[in-house]
Amino acid sequence: MRIGSQLPLLLTSAAIACAAPDQEGTVYGEQLTMTDTTLVSTILTAPDAYLGERVLVQGTVVEVCEMRGCWLELASDREFETLRVKVEDGVIVFPLSARGHHAVVEGVIERIDLTKEQAIEQARHHAEEQGIPFDSTTITGPTVTYQIRGIGAVIAE
Amino acid sequence: MKWRKWNNIIHRDLGYLCVGLTVVYAVSGVAVNHIADWNPSFAIESRTISVDDALARAVGAPEGVRSVLEAVGLPPVFRATFRPDANRVRIFVEDGVVDIDLAAAEATVEVVRARPILREANFLHLNHAKRLWTWLADLYAVALGLLAVTGLFVLKGKKGITGRGAWLTGIGVAVPLLFLWLYL
Repeated sequence: MRIGSQLPLLLTSAAIACAAPDQEGTVYGEQLTMTDTTLVSTILTAPDAYLGERVLVQGTVVEVCEMRGCWLELASDREFETLRVKVEDGVIVFPLSARGHHAVVEGVIERIDLTKEQAIEQARHHAEEQGIPFDSTTITGPTVTYQIRGIGAVIAE
Repeated sequence: MKWRKWNNIIHRDLGYLCVGLTVVYAVSGVAVNHIADWNPSFAIESRTISVDDALARAVGAPEGVRSVLEAVGLPPVFRATFRPDANRVRIFVEDGVVDIDLAAAEATVEVVRARPILREANFLHLNHAKRLWTWLADLYAVALGLLAVTGLFVLKGKKGITGRGAWLTGIGVAVPLLFLWLYL
């Protein structure tokens, strides 16, 4: 491969490793250990490349598990896109009041493969948790989703 | 017998010490047991309001967001906005969120309010406080264990552990075992 064809990739790599801002706020779970953030959009563009990797991401919290606080959705830097941060039930509990606040989250990227039946069941569970209508027809086959297994987070107050 | 005197003193005084936390854990226990049916810490109220189509489409700018908030009866102050898709905008306000459906020109206002007493009880019961509270909750658990054991020997005779107490203790042990056999 010629250098010229690698240049966009190199430039992108340089751009995606951003220094984390000094985030002040409430710590959930473990203290953050990483300093360079990766853009959510970069992860979601090629998620398999990040599988099992520990990453630091940041964004606005746009949704929180209403029942247990066991996950949150982080807004991507790209429009109409979010990344879910899942934490162990009871170990880390995100408050509903985190919605709309800026968060920095450290965790490991994981891939969830679901059969159609599993995906329907998960969507039903999600709808129950959030108190929103459930429509099984929106799921037409097996699904693949990516999420962060959250280790620690700092959410601004 | 001297050991029974000390047993009863420990049982009595630990009982007094544990009353406050036992009530907190009992109240929270019932609330959290039904977590599948409700949010035990927060009351979430939702209402949908029609908004002027032009107003809804103005939410791209901060001034437009403030106008929409005023139109749905909220103070014109917001933390952030987010677009889940081309037709929807979510506005984050102090006590909740406002979801604007641009296609339907509707605003769904979701207000979140902490349930008094329950929120605090659940905070302690579910150990959201962490830190030193973890150790205090452990100490409470040990105290409960001591209360249970010393409780067995408070009375002697027919109503004690050699008589009626043995039957009641047996039932108390058998009930969870029965449910384990049924459901596990």
